[in-house]
Amino acid sequence: MSGDHLTGTTFEGRAAEQLAKPFQRKAIPAAVDGTVAHSRALFATGDRERLRELGRDIRAHAVANLPEYVAAFTDAAEANGTRVHFAGDATEANAIVAGICRDAGAQLIVKSKSMLTEEIELNPALEAAGFEVVETDLGEYVVQIANDRPSHIIGPIIHKTRGEVRELFSAIAGRDLGDDPRALTAFAREQLRDVFLRADVGITGGNFAVAESGSVVLVTNEGNARLATSLPRVHIALVGVERLLPRTADLSVLIPLLVASGTGQQLTTYLSIASGPRREGEPDGPDEMHVVLVDGGRSAILGTGYQDILNCIRCGACQNVCPVYRQVGGHAYGWVYGGPIGAVLTPLFKPSAEGLEVAHASSLCAACDDVCPVKIPLHDLLVDLRRDRVGRRIPGRFERLAYGAWSRAWSSPLLYRLSGRVGIASLRLLARGGVVRRGLGPLRRWTRDRDLLLPGRRRR
Amino acid sequence: MERDAFIARLAAARPGPPLPDVSSLPAVHTELRPGDELYARFVHELTAVNGTCELRPAAAVSAAVVAALGDARRVALGADLGDHQAPVEGALAAAGIAAIAYEEAVADRAVLGALEATVTGCALAVAATGSIVISAAAGRAAALIAPLHVCVVPAEHLVGGLAEALRILPPGSLTAFQSGPSRTADIEKVLILGMHGPGATHVIVAT
Ligand code: SF4
Repeated sequence: MSGDHLTGTTFEGRAAEQLAKPFQRKAIPAAVDGTVAHSRALFATGDRERLRELGRDIRAHAVANLPEYVAAFTDAAEANGTRVHFAGDATEANAIVAGICRDAGAQLIVKSKSMLTEEIELNPALEAAGFEVVETDLGEYVVQIANDRPSHIIGPIIHKTRGEVRELFSAIAGRDLGDDPRALTAFAREQLRDVFLRADVGITGGNFAVAESGSVVLVTNEGNARLATSLPRVHIALVGVERLLPRTADLSVLIPLLVASGTGQQLTTYLSIASGPRREGEPDGPDEMHVVLVDGGRSAILGTGYQDILNCIRCGACQNVCPVYRQVGGHAYGWVYGGPIGAVLTPLFKPSAEGLEVAHASSLCAACDDVCPVKIPLHDLLVDLRRDRVGRRIPGRFERLAYGAWSRAWSSPLLYRLSGRVGIASLRLLARGGVVRRGLGPLRRWTRDRDLLLPGRRRR
Repeated sequence: MERDAFIARLAAARPGPPLPDVSSLPAVHTELRPGDELYARFVHELTAVNGTCELRPAAAVSAAVVAALGDARRVALGADLGDHQAPVEGALAAAGIAAIAYEEAVADRAVLGALEATVTGCALAVAATGSIVISAAAGRAAALIAPLHVCVVPAEHLVGGLAEALRILPPGSLTAFQSGPSRTADIEKVLILGMHGPGATHVIVAT
């Protein structure tokens, strides 16, 4: 269940594979359009712009001052009785988690949904260490059984039909469960409830970590994260180090931004603030709480022109509105994150030729900028990544020459106008009846699937 | 990694903006709007997320709890009902419901797994989001282990919005906001209640 399908593939190849799945192209808009509409309606009842500015400033401030907030978080968490661990990379994070599970004498581990654990490929690492790991978010449970990967931050199986889920669950049940989502969900609940009651360790992610209180904040709708923090004897939360917030009060800004953007809800069904192991007098809860702060490539982005991407709160809104994502789905991006956030993060976390190419999986329409709840300039970051890739001489010689000429021409008003005329004149040579049906050179790929209309004449 | 080495790697950041003041917020859907009445907004939001709610004078609360439990017989009771604790226990016994303390139920996984309903109090309730706020002092899983959760909310625990609730969070190792029954829409976006938590949440606001 590796999270990396980049090696030896191209975006074009992966996208073509995804486009061949007719369900997915209809399913993504069907699944996300409701969220987009609900989100818009909710934000329309308030001062959305001001709220986003506050969200951006809180996040940008926290990311710029991580040394201070990581230290404060650690002190506060330890005062609560939580053990804080520091993982430089994926291997170290996985080893820390396996070590905690081993020390606890654990066998069965329940997990709630966490994109960070997809990044570090925690499940295979724990399985290799001899533990049984069960995903408990319904979507992630399906992903795990199918040996698949999540294709959306919030809705991991929006690429799957109920028929596929029926097949997977029926195989486990040993009888046909039918394709009513109600029956399928009930089956999963029953399976997972039993696992929850037996599990030794509960692993969660962390939507935020609050420095002043040493708490980890979790939002879910199903309640699995809360069960995972209630029933097992040990709770381990893995949190990306950039997810710190200075104050509890910051949640009054970031929770509405995250939830409305992510699911279009007023508030998720469950919002849990976990501040340590069970205390004296409390009837249930874990004996141990561990927080693993994970760097995993994040510190390398600090101080670069891409620092703003660390403000991301993983709401998935940019995926929902991205015209490329809506067609090709999350898997085409080759790594854990799809859509604009993936197009920025993948090249930064996986700077191979294949990883860098993902920055081009965007039409630069900037729809993502408009919805990002913390105002990350995704469009600018994508353009910068492309520029950097050109600088690193990864594209062919022709592409570099062409971009060089383009940049020179469009920096001068005279040459800009001239280049427009030359361009249109050459298009006219190719056109028949105002339409270019088969282009030459770099135009060939554009016209392979669509016609190119000639630009209209300027009227005076 | 050692803490200091880990933190040292984070020092290269470009400077950011100052931390903004959030003591007064711009208009946002998780806070009260001008003219909102506390209870009316709470009912509106809770109903919108498939919870149910009734307003009862203190003396009528225990009868309302019995009624809300319907046919449920394997019932666990939180220890956080305050003034309502004794009357509710009495009413359940009179109705022939042998409720056990949540603390006892949680000690035996077989009993815990077989519960049909739980009854708890709550530390706070948030009008603008239709949420009840339960502290670990009452039990982390008390509100979500059974298919039905009945919650008694003293009217004076009702606050306006998320910001106020966050300012006065109850003590405890975990604070949980819960807004309506557990839900999922993972399979083809079909909304289903009662995924891991209860399929029904009933709130009795006691005046
Ligand atoms: S980049 Fe912005 S819109 Fe996209 S997931 Fe992150 S926070 Fe959400």
